[in-house]
Amino acid sequence: MSGKGNVVRPFAFFRAGNQAHANPSQRPILVLEDVYKYFRPDVATLRGVNLEVERGEFAFITGPSGAGKSTLLQLIYRAQTVDEGRILFCGRDIARLTSRSIPYLRRNLGVVFQDFKIIGHWTVYENVAVALEILSMPRRLVRARVSEALERVGLAGRGGEPTSSLSGGEQQRVAVARAIVSEPALILADEPTGNLDPTLALDILTLFEEINDTGTTVLFATHDHSLLEARSHRIVYIDEGRAVEARKGLGAWADRQTA
Amino acid sequence: MPLKTAIARAARAMREDLRLHVVAISSLTVAFLCLAAALFTMTNLSSMAESWARQGRMSVYLAEGAQTEDVAQLRLLLEGLPEVREIEHVTSRAARAQMATESEDAELSRLPADLFPASLEVTLAGGTTAARSAVIAERVGRFRAVEGVETYEAWFGQLESLITTGRVVAGALALLVLLCVLFVVANTIRLAIAGRRDEIEVLKLCGASDGFVRGPFLVEGAVQGFLSSAIAVSLLFAAFVAVRGEVDSTIAALAGVRSVFIHPSIAVALVVGGGLVGATGSALSLRRYLGV
Repeated sequence: MSGKGNVVRPFAFFRAGNQAHANPSQRPILVLEDVYKYFRPDVATLRGVNLEVERGEFAFITGPSGAGKSTLLQLIYRAQTVDEGRILFCGRDIARLTSRSIPYLRRNLGVVFQDFKIIGHWTVYENVAVALEILSMPRRLVRARVSEALERVGLAGRGGEPTSSLSGGEQQRVAVARAIVSEPALILADEPTGNLDPTLALDILTLFEEINDTGTTVLFATHDHSLLEARSHRIVYIDEGRAVEARKGLGAWADRQTA
Repeated sequence: MPLKTAIARAARAMREDLRLHVVAISSLTVAFLCLAAALFTMTNLSSMAESWARQGRMSVYLAEGAQTEDVAQLRLLLEGLPEVREIEHVTSRAARAQMATESEDAELSRLPADLFPASLEVTLAGGTTAARSAVIAERVGRFRAVEGVETYEAWFGQLESLITTGRVVAGALALLVLLCVLFVVANTIRLAIAGRRDEIEVLKLCGASDGFVRGPFLVEGAVQGFLSSAIAVSLLFAAFVAVRGEVDSTIAALAGVRSVFIHPSIAVALVVGGGLVGATGSALSLRRYLGV
C-alpha cells in the first residue's frame, strides 16, 4: 500500500488557484465559504456554512435527519449547486464548473451511499472496474487495480461473484472498493452504515479509517451516535442548516435525540 | 469513449435485455420489409419501362385468311422504312407455341391455332418517336391484310404514370418507415434507459462523461436499425429467389422482361441507412429522457 501523500492520481484535473497557501500541498483540500442552499425560496437548507477540510483528514458530518448532511455532500459532488457562497475543491470553485467539467470533478472524488448504489446483475469485479473503465484505462491495469481494491476491502478473490448474492456489509464493501479504486483525493460517505447492523457499521468505519491512513481525505456523514462516540475524529455538526465544530457539543445533541 | 468499449457495453446490455431488443428488431424488420418491397416493385417497373423504351416495338396483326402476296407486299413496305430494324413473321401456330412456352401452360397448345392471330413483329430503331410510330401504324393499317396494329404507346404511357405514382408511394412509404423506425428505436431506448437508471446514475457518479453514458445506447439504436434492415433485405431476397422461378415466365410473357432484385447499392444504402436512422432515434431519446 502506498503511504500518506504518495497517492497516484492519474487524472489530476484540478490545478492550483489563487490561494493563501503558497504550497498547494499545504492548503485545505476542501473549503466551504458562506454556503447557502435553498430548496424553497423562504427556507434555507444550508445557511452560511463555513468549513475547511485539510488533506488527509477524517471528519464526521453529523446532525439530525433532514439537517442538510446529504445536501452538503451533494453540493461537493455537484449533484446540487450552491445558491450563495462558494466551495473550493483543490483550490477550484466547483460551483463555477461547466456541466462538461463535472465528470472530471467526480473522477477525483469517491462517493459511497447508504443504499450502496451497486448494480445487482453485475459481478463484484464489474461494479468496481466501472470506475476505471470510464477513464479508458488499459484492461490489464484495470484488473490489477480492481484486485488491489478488492483486497483492501476484504473481498480478495471474489471478483467473479454476482453482487446480488452478497450480504449488505459485503455490498457496501464493493461500493467502497469502487470509490477507492481510482485513488481519489476525497471520499464522501453519505450514511454508509445506515443499512448495516452495529458490528458491520463499525467494520465499515474501520475500513474508511484504513483508507484514510493511506492519505485519502474522508468526509463521513452519519447520525449514528455510537460511531461518533467510538472514535475521536473531528465532528462537524449540522443543525438547522448551520455547521459547527461539535465534538464538545455531542453530548447535548445526544441528550436531545434521547428526549 | 472508445468505440470498442461502447460496443462491448452495448452488447452486454442487449444480452441482458434480449427480449426487448428482439421485439424491437422484429417490429423494425416489418417496417423495413415494406420499404424494401416498395423499392423492389419500383426497380422492376423502371426496368420494364427502360426495356420498352429501348426496344421500340410494333405488332402488326394479320387478318384471318390474309393472302401470302399481300403479306409479302406489306413486308416489302416495312423493310423500305428507315425506322424498321427487324421484321419477324409469327404464324398462328408459332404464336400458340410461343404463348404455351412462355406461360408454361400445356393446355394452351391444345387450343386451335386460329385462336392466335398471326402477326408481323416489327422492331423499330432506337429513337423512333411516338408520333413517327403512329404514322407508320396508320399507314400499315390501311393494308387489306392487316387487322390491327399495336404500337404499345398506350401501355407505355400507363406504365410511365404507374412508375410516377409508384415513386410517390415509395417516397411516402420511406418517410413513414423513417418515422416508424425513429419511434420504435426511441421507445426501445427509452425503455432501456428506464431499466438502466441505476447503472446510469452509478456511471455519472463515477465521473462518466455524457459521451460514455450515451455511447452504448447509440450503438444499440444503430444495431437495431442495421440488423432489422439487413434482415428485411435478406428476407426479401430469399422470397425473390423462391418465387422467381414460379412467376418469372408469366411476367416475361406479359411484360417482356425478367424480374430483377433491387440494385446492390440500394440494398447497402438501405442497411447502412437503417443503422444511421436507428442511431438517430436513439440520440433523440437520450436527449429527451436522459438529458445527455
